[in-house]
Amino acid sequence: MIYNLRHRTTYTYESAVSFARCVLRLTPQSSPAQTVLESSLAVTPRPSNVIERTGAFGEHTLTAVIEEPHLALVIEARSRVDVHAPSLQLTTPSPSWDEVRKRSVRNADLGPDSPAAYLYPTRRTPIVAEITEYARPSFAEGRPIMEAAGELMTRMYADFTYDSKATTVSTLAQEAFKARRGVCQDFAHIMISGLKGLGLPAAYVSGYLRTIPPPGQARLEGADATHAWTAVWCGEGLGWVGFDPTNGILAQNDHIVLARGRDYSDVAPIDGIILAPGEQTLKVEVDVIPEDELVAAMRAGGMRSPVGLGTLL
Amino acid sequence: MATDAPIAVRRREDLKPAAADRLSSWLRNYKPLPGVPDELFDRTGRPRDYWLSFLGEFAEYPQAEFENRFSLATRHIRDTGVTYRIYGEENERSWPLSPMPLILSQGEWAQIAEGVEQRANLIEALLQDFYGEGALVAEGALPAAALTGSADFVRAMRGVKPPGGRFLQLYAADLGRGPDGRWWVLDDRTQAPSGAGYALESRLVLSRAYPNLYNAMNVQRLAPFFDGLRKGLAATAERDDPRICLLTPGPFSETYFEQAHLARYLGFLLVEGDDLVVRDGRVYVRTIAGLKRADVILRRVDADFIDPLELNSASHLGVPGLLEAIRSGGVAVLNIPGSGVLESKALLGFLPKLCRRLLGEELKMPNVATWWCGQPMERALVERNLENLAIAPAFNVPGTLAAMAKPRLVASMSAAEKAEFLARLNDRPGDYVGQEVVRLSTTPVLRDGRLEPAPFVLRVYAAMTPDGMKVMPGGFCRTSDHPDVRAISMGEDARTNDVWVISDRPVERVTLMASTEDVKVRRILGHLPSRAADNLFWLGRYIERAEATLRLVRSLCTSLMDSESATHSAGETLAILQKLLIEWGALDEKALGRRAIDAGRDTLHDDKAYGSVVSLVRSARRTAASMRERLSADFWTLLINLEASLVEGAHELLSEAEVLQQVENALQILAALSGLAQENMNRVAGWRFLDMGRRIERGVNTCRFTRALAHEEATIDDLDLLLDLADSQITYRARYLVGLALAPVRDMVVLDPFNTRSLAFQVETLKQHLDVLPALQDDGMLEEPDRVLLNLAAQVETETAARINTEKMIAFELALMRLSDAIGERFFLRGANAVPTAKLAGLA
Repeated sequence: MIYNLRHRTTYTYESAVSFARCVLRLTPQSSPAQTVLESSLAVTPRPSNVIERTGAFGEHTLTAVIEEPHLALVIEARSRVDVHAPSLQLTTPSPSWDEVRKRSVRNADLGPDSPAAYLYPTRRTPIVAEITEYARPSFAEGRPIMEAAGELMTRMYADFTYDSKATTVSTLAQEAFKARRGVCQDFAHIMISGLKGLGLPAAYVSGYLRTIPPPGQARLEGADATHAWTAVWCGEGLGWVGFDPTNGILAQNDHIVLARGRDYSDVAPIDGIILAPGEQTLKVEVDVIPEDELVAAMRAGGMRSPVGLGTLL
Repeated sequence: MATDAPIAVRRREDLKPAAADRLSSWLRNYKPLPGVPDELFDRTGRPRDYWLSFLGEFAEYPQAEFENRFSLATRHIRDTGVTYRIYGEENERSWPLSPMPLILSQGEWAQIAEGVEQRANLIEALLQDFYGEGALVAEGALPAAALTGSADFVRAMRGVKPPGGRFLQLYAADLGRGPDGRWWVLDDRTQAPSGAGYALESRLVLSRAYPNLYNAMNVQRLAPFFDGLRKGLAATAERDDPRICLLTPGPFSETYFEQAHLARYLGFLLVEGDDLVVRDGRVYVRTIAGLKRADVILRRVDADFIDPLELNSASHLGVPGLLEAIRSGGVAVLNIPGSGVLESKALLGFLPKLCRRLLGEELKMPNVATWWCGQPMERALVERNLENLAIAPAFNVPGTLAAMAKPRLVASMSAAEKAEFLARLNDRPGDYVGQEVVRLSTTPVLRDGRLEPAPFVLRVYAAMTPDGMKVMPGGFCRTSDHPDVRAISMGEDARTNDVWVISDRPVERVTLMASTEDVKVRRILGHLPSRAADNLFWLGRYIERAEATLRLVRSLCTSLMDSESATHSAGETLAILQKLLIEWGALDEKALGRRAIDAGRDTLHDDKAYGSVVSLVRSARRTAASMRERLSADFWTLLINLEASLVEGAHELLSEAEVLQQVENALQILAALSGLAQENMNRVAGWRFLDMGRRIERGVNTCRFTRALAHEEATIDDLDLLLDLADSQITYRARYLVGLALAPVRDMVVLDPFNTRSLAFQVETLKQHLDVLPALQDDGMLEEPDRVLLNLAAQVETETAARINTEKMIAFELALMRLSDAIGERFFLRGANAVPTAKLAGLA
């Protein structure tokens, strides 16, 4: 499945900002599960200095410095990604979770794909006894990791309520857990916390999710959102497998990966500091458009192509 | 007298009888703990020679004299601000100094130095591997998970090629003597070791308290070590004459005073995160002359806090973009962010093997036997020997994430605690290490005139110099007041001891004096950092405000005393004074109409009122404390005395005369402060900011007093009082024989450019200051402070006393406020080049 992605962030400032330094993690990376066909990142006003590198967890990072006074900052990422995840089920044979735990501690890789990088608590995914105990019933001795982690995900999907008002970007896992409410970010953090509590390697994935518009309705422009889920290392063979507790499904061909880290802080799409005396407002627009749908819609004349995307066809 | 003794140590039989008695009594009553190695007595139970020599000389001081000497030296060092102790605040330094040093022989020391040097080299090699190739993990010498658990394994530094090619500048090891008498490493300090400044301080105190004894013992000097440390840092810079900064977390840091002391001793610029800014891959210091390059940064901020853009985004202590600057080679930051990973206890067990592999030699100094439970065999061993071990967290992580708050002895756990621990060990074995229980060795200390053994930990420092890794011949020693020798119990109740490494031969006298060819003669002391300018400016304002408030109190009390014998309307003048004080926040509103003595006392001492004299003096002292390295010792002492003179006897002020006495005292100290600033401060930028603060404050106060006391309906009393407040009585009486009149008083207080208290004089002085300070703009246009000031000066110069009215006085006052703001905008951090770091928020 090929997707056209557009992720546009607009900051508007009350008074002119004379200097900004941003770290942008907005460019998807190719992996066995997806191939990035094209990608671009535009920052307005034009940065005076740009440094591109691979970040600490393998994510593509761009640091931009803007020294021209500005009232608005627009960051627009576009890409075309072919997602071809291997077909997996919760019943796919996998090593037992206790075996996974042993192997991840023994792992001899310091790189960003190593399970060793994702074993320890972070500020947003601390070890919390209540969350560990919540996770524990799914992890009977010798149970295959896919099955055990899958059951935890399914239980979370049943027990937790999606509520975009209940939490904010800085809510901690234990707070959202207590309320049994939150958004994708909270659920991903809680699941990571629970897995780590049992000594298992778990990571935070930021990315996009294909959304299906209600029957008979056209896709609303910019109405899609960024998404987040949990990745669990399931042994050397299967590697990292995405579990989406918000939707109770494995992350496969509807999920496009932007970056993977230990928690939200490692992969936040935009981190920055500005010299800003006044207030700032933030607007985010995301379009995740399957290419076949886009072609069909344009042929039918029922949908206007988002600016610039037409040229990708 | 011991002080007259020649510089040589006496033999025991040469001691005076009283000293010999004291020494015998000390030795007779000294009882080392069974099975615990001791510094005074060797393993055969005989006192070591060098200790005997020391104690013999020490016994020569009569009891009272040595205590007197020690406390004098301590007080002198502290009062003159060498240690930057904030008067009245106890928490900035946890350990008081002990009068007795820890003494080590040259031979003993050689072993320690060799072991610590090797360990520092090993740590450098490990950091090179961890942040470079990563071969140790890839080839199975170390599991990845033994590194990744540390918050100080900074992935963003992987692959970095730091300028100078080094990762480690300063390393410290905490040592103790094991049961077999060998020295053991208890802990490694690789992040940003603290305490070297305290070692300097202890040395200063002891060498001053017993100079002859110190010289006679041939104690090795510390100065060459610090010289090497400085040269080592300088060697990593691209430029010949690099600007080296010591990056501090700020005055709230536990060891701020030690950091300030070190910075001053080493000649480094003491900076906080806000002082630094990253541009084009380089780091700059914000100064009043714009951005100036920082070549090398000695780091005292933990890695996690050092760059809010890439690491902990909640940090206000760091410099956004610093890691990027390190990666691009634009700055050397030492120890490199990430060096703290070597403080993980998980790594201890691997070190012997890693040392053989990396350095090709055996580890010379063993560390405490440690088993990381992340390995199945080690974990099994720990579980088998649980009762005999201590359990500790395997990694350094932020407190809330720590697997356990502090190390525990399993034997001291309750059954429930033990069960809970075992369950957690089962879930996450890699979070824990088991360690053999350490018993500290002891060294003699004096308690109530008796010699007693006290458990101690010795911190030894190694620094990278152009001639390789060098170990400081001395250290930072903490002795415990409790006889419990388990290291685990070493807590807050500790003292610091100086560490004397004694030479067989007399030592060469060295200080940090550079050889002549190294020093380029210059007159400007480098550029003043904006934050320091800001602090000096406000120090000036606080001092001046305190002075003005004191004058108000004086007038309050004297006018009251006068009014009892005179007929004029002092009551109204009194009300004006009280109103001024209330407006100023010096006095509570409820005070209006109360007795003058009460109002005076409150104005002096009410520490809840932000404008009271004691509050103002405290603000001044706090401001001064955060830039101790820029003020002379005398200046600091006066400030401390000022606060002390106000606090002493605050509750015993019964009469106006007593209040007056205190006011006069305080005013005298302030006069001394002014004189000191005027005569003894170098006329570089720092002094100008201090003085500008004073001038602006004085100008504003003059405007206020004039409005209140020299308005159209002013009485003779009012004018009289104004001359008092403006300290212009004598000048007025000399110039005008006719008595008080409105116009001449106004002229003298506001417009007379020759009266040092007049508004006109302040404005003229301010002009001189601004003229000398550097300009940022190169387009020939006036900068904002100049614009405001020139306008004000023109108005004041062309004004006449007859035309002055309240509106004009208000206009002058507002112009001074605008000038204060403009100076802030232009020179200080909140100005155009400031960083109020707002984070781009939101889940995008």
